Amino acid sequence: MITQMHLKGLMFDPYNNAYIVVLRDEEGHEMLPIWVGKAEAGAISMALENVAPPRPMTHDFMKSVLDAYDAKVISVVITDLNENTYFAKIHLMYEDSEYTVDARPSDAIALALRSNAPVFAKETVLNKQSSEELEQWLENLKPEDFGKLDS
Amino acid sequence: MEQPPSSPDQGLIAYKVDRVLDETNTDTKILVLSRQDGQLDTFPIWIGAAEGHAIKLALDTTLTPRPMSHDLIKSIAEHLNVHVRRIVIGDVKNSTYYATVYLENNGVERTVDARPSDAISLALRTNAPLYITEDVLARRNTANLDLWLAKQDKNSMNQQEVRES
Repeated sequence: MITQMHLKGLMFDPYNNAYIVVLRDEEGHEMLPIWVGKAEAGAISMALENVAPPRPMTHDFMKSVLDAYDAKVISVVITDLNENTYFAKIHLMYEDSEYTVDARPSDAIALALRSNAPVFAKETVLNKQSSEELEQWLENLKPEDFGKLDS
Repeated sequence: MEQPPSSPDQGLIAYKVDRVLDETNTDTKILVLSRQDGQLDTFPIWIGAAEGHAIKLALDTTLTPRPMSHDLIKSIAEHLNVHVRRIVIGDVKNSTYYATVYLENNGVERTVDARPSDAISLALRTNAPLYITEDVLARRNTANLDLWLAKQDKNSMNQQEVRES
C-alpha cells in the first residue's frame, strides 16, 4: 500500500543545522519529515521555485542523462525508514522496460520534481514515523525558519 | 569489444584529477587537474563545496552508507546500459568552464552538457577519461591562475587538502 505525497515545505532545522523536507498526503492526515543536507535542500528548493540556474545543477544533469536516451521517471517511492535513514526507489521507464533504482529520498525527490513525477510513501514508512515527533519539531521552529513554499 | 562510435578528436589533452583544495575563507573548493602524461601543468577549477565533497569521496573511493547524487547518476546509467565514454572540458565563457559528457548505449552516442564538477564526479566513478581541448587550455583564465598561485604562495604554510566533516 502506497500513498501519494506532496511536498508541503522545506525548512531549516537550527537544532541539527540541517533542512527538513516535509511531505504530506492529499488529505493532510499523514506527514513525513525527511532530514536532508544543505546541498540536497538547495537542489529541491531550486526545482520547487522554478529557478533556472545559469548552468545545470547536479540533478538537472541527472535529468539530462535520462533525457539523452528518452528514459522517463515514472514515480518515486519512499520505501523504508531505518535508524532515521530513509530509502527510496526511483522507477524509470526506458524502451518499454521498467527499471528500479535505489536512491536517497533527497535525490529521488529532486529528480521527481524536475520530471513532474509523483512521489509516494509506503504505508509502513508512514506508520513508523510518529506524527508527534514532527509536531514537536514544528513547535520548536520559529516562523522565520519556514520557507515560502507552503502551497 | 566494439570501438566507441567516435574516438577523441585531435586537440584533446588527457588530464586527471590531482586533488581538491580548500579555498581559504570561502565556501568554494579548488579542483586541481594535472596532465595524464606527467608533463607539468596544473589546471585549477573553482567549484562549490558540495561538488568538491562529491569529487573527494570518489577520489578517496569512500564508501557511503547511501548512494550520493553522482553514485545515483552512475547507477541510473548502469541500469539503462549507458556507458560514460569520456568527458571533455571544451569551452570557457566568462571564466566558467563547460564540460560535455559523451555517453554511449548500443552504439548510440549522445552528449550531455554539464558543469565540469558534475562531469568529473561522474567520470571518476565510471573510470571515464577526462580531456581538455587545446583551445580551452590556450584560453584559460590566467588572471584567475595568477591570483591562485599568489594565494598558494601566501598560504603555502597552512594550505591543506579538503578535510570532510
